Amino acid sequence: MISLATAAPVVGAAFIASTVEVAEAFTIVLAVSVVRGPRPAILGTLAALLLLTLAVLLFGPLLSAVPVRGLHLIIGVLVLVFGLGWLRKAVLRAGGALPLHDEMQAFAKETQALRQAPGSGGASTTDWLGAMTAFQAVLLEGTEVVFIVIAVGARPGLLGPAAIGAAAACVLVLAGGLILRAPMSRIPENTLKFVVGGLLTGFGVFWCCEGLGAPWPGGELAVVGLVAFYLAAGVGMAALVRRRQARSALP
Amino acid sequence: MSSLRALMATIGKMFAADLWLTLIALATVAICAIGLRAHMVSPGGAPFILAGGAFVALAVGVARGARR
Repeated sequence: MISLATAAPVVGAAFIASTVEVAEAFTIVLAVSVVRGPRPAILGTLAALLLLTLAVLLFGPLLSAVPVRGLHLIIGVLVLVFGLGWLRKAVLRAGGALPLHDEMQAFAKETQALRQAPGSGGASTTDWLGAMTAFQAVLLEGTEVVFIVIAVGARPGLLGPAAIGAAAACVLVLAGGLILRAPMSRIPENTLKFVVGGLLTGFGVFWCCEGLGAPWPGGELAVVGLVAFYLAAGVGMAALVRRRQARSALP
Repeated sequence: MSSLRALMATIGKMFAADLWLTLIALATVAICAIGLRAHMVSPGGAPFILAGGAFVALAVGVARGARR
């Protein structure tokens, strides 16, 4: 039986990370639905979800064949590199070195591209293009969600809680989107990305150490300290980047 | 075909957003693994080396990104 203290951070990490990715996919699916109609949007989304499910069913059992220590090291390295990438991007966005991701802007860009797409006159061409756009968006963002779920649920019995976190994010974004009938622009995407970057980096360092046979003193509690350390480091670095940007903006 | 290419590009970006960040993180894990096996790094010290290496990787990635 998994304790709530063990499952809660996993559910939370999967939920927050998936919210960011699902919101991005939803923006494009909504754009397809508005410009090309709901049919190709639903068709493309279902096809991508089917492919992702098949991939999980195909590769999921392979993970259980890897010895636990080896699995921790492999997943730990992947999570560490992935988490550092997210944290880096969030720091650069918070510091003003990279523009913030704007769902409204992404929605406008996507709808314009779909309207201007060549061959948008024929019904079958319209359906195909719209379905492919939705398919690609859900497949790409969904790949990241699948990876996050596998990464944070890489311990025995934790894949279920991680999947619950991701599923809850899907339900929340879809429900919010259906109520608002607009892109989820209110989601503080960079803040979430910042938090997830810190969480994944902390988990990554912890699992690498477990996989190497050099566990942290304090056991699983060390994850909390690691996450706090990387979040604090990220905040400090973002402040430095902001100061640098302000200095370079001066004449 | 374009979906497959985009998928490959996404997977590539997931793990190599910044080349130096990725290389430093991987090198730190490799140093810890080799050091532990050769008894040059103690099991008590390896976690702190790994955590420090990840911090350096992040700092280098951010510094490179801010300069662009």
